[in-house]
Amino acid sequence: MSDSVLSRRRLLLGSLALPFTISGCGRRLTSDPQVVNLFIQSDGDFLAFRPDEMTCRTGAMVHLTFHHSGKFLSALHNWVLVMPDKMEVVDKDAEKTDGEISPDDSRVIAWVPMCGKGETVMTQFIAPAPGDYPFFCSTPGHAVDMNGILHVTP
Amino acid sequence: MKGRKKIPAVLASIGFVLMFAAPIWAAQLKSPDTVKTALRLLVQVSNDFKRQITNKNFARVPHEYMEYTEAADALRMGIKDEPADFKAKVETRLKAAVAAYQKISDMSAKATDPEPLMAEHAKAVTAMNAVFDLFPADMRPDPNLPPPGGRRGGKQ
Repeated sequence: MSDSVLSRRRLLLGSLALPFTISGCGRRLTSDPQVVNLFIQSDGDFLAFRPDEMTCRTGAMVHLTFHHSGKFLSALHNWVLVMPDKMEVVDKDAEKTDGEISPDDSRVIAWVPMCGKGETVMTQFIAPAPGDYPFFCSTPGHAVDMNGILHVTP
Repeated sequence: MKGRKKIPAVLASIGFVLMFAAPIWAAQLKSPDTVKTALRLLVQVSNDFKRQITNKNFARVPHEYMEYTEAADALRMGIKDEPADFKAKVETRLKAAVAAYQKISDMSAKATDPEPLMAEHAKAVTAMNAVFDLFPADMRPDPNLPPPGGRRGGKQ
């Protein structure tokens, strides 16, 4: 068989494969994790989150936006999502670093950096296994009042 | 005897009038929402002082003092359009309260024992309550009320 015939066959097979490749790309998009946009903010200058409960599905790609809606106080706030029952211990550890979260902390699922009044910050993460996950502000002294729950459903 | 019988009736009338006068006064404030928010912030920051002292987190106390002055400025902003005599009364008591919290902040620099700071904090709360007394009862924050956030994420 000559090289030219082989080349023609390859070209034909390649052109037949193109529609399948394109349709395959389309299917891949639908099998991507569900994208969920969540918005949360401080209750003005008060030590509370609004809302203090949120819900998403396990495996969802969560795009979370946090807004510091304070007007008067210079207190910094952030949003830290941790494994169940780990809020107090992570908060205690964060006191030593003035509230900064270590990126290597395996107890922390996601967090946004500290921000001042009027600022907005974002993060994204894959929603963990179904369960109730606490979130809080890691500025020293805030977590006791400024916390909430992310409900992850099956 | 007749006059004595009238006294409870007069007192009841005064009480009745005051009961309705306080909300009217509150409604007459030019910026009641800002005033209410500022008064709540003063209590919030005062409670933060207490928490940092109790946890022996003395390095955070000066930061709380800074926030206290910001809450005080919020109150000043809230009453800026009120009559001058009322503003003067508030300013006198507010300055005393801010000075009391500044004393705690100054003491925290060398503190190792929370007790003396807690004693000063109790005095500062008294000074702060003197500010609240100038406002109608329904505008004053209740220091015993739990904050709106609660303890959802922590252990119940």
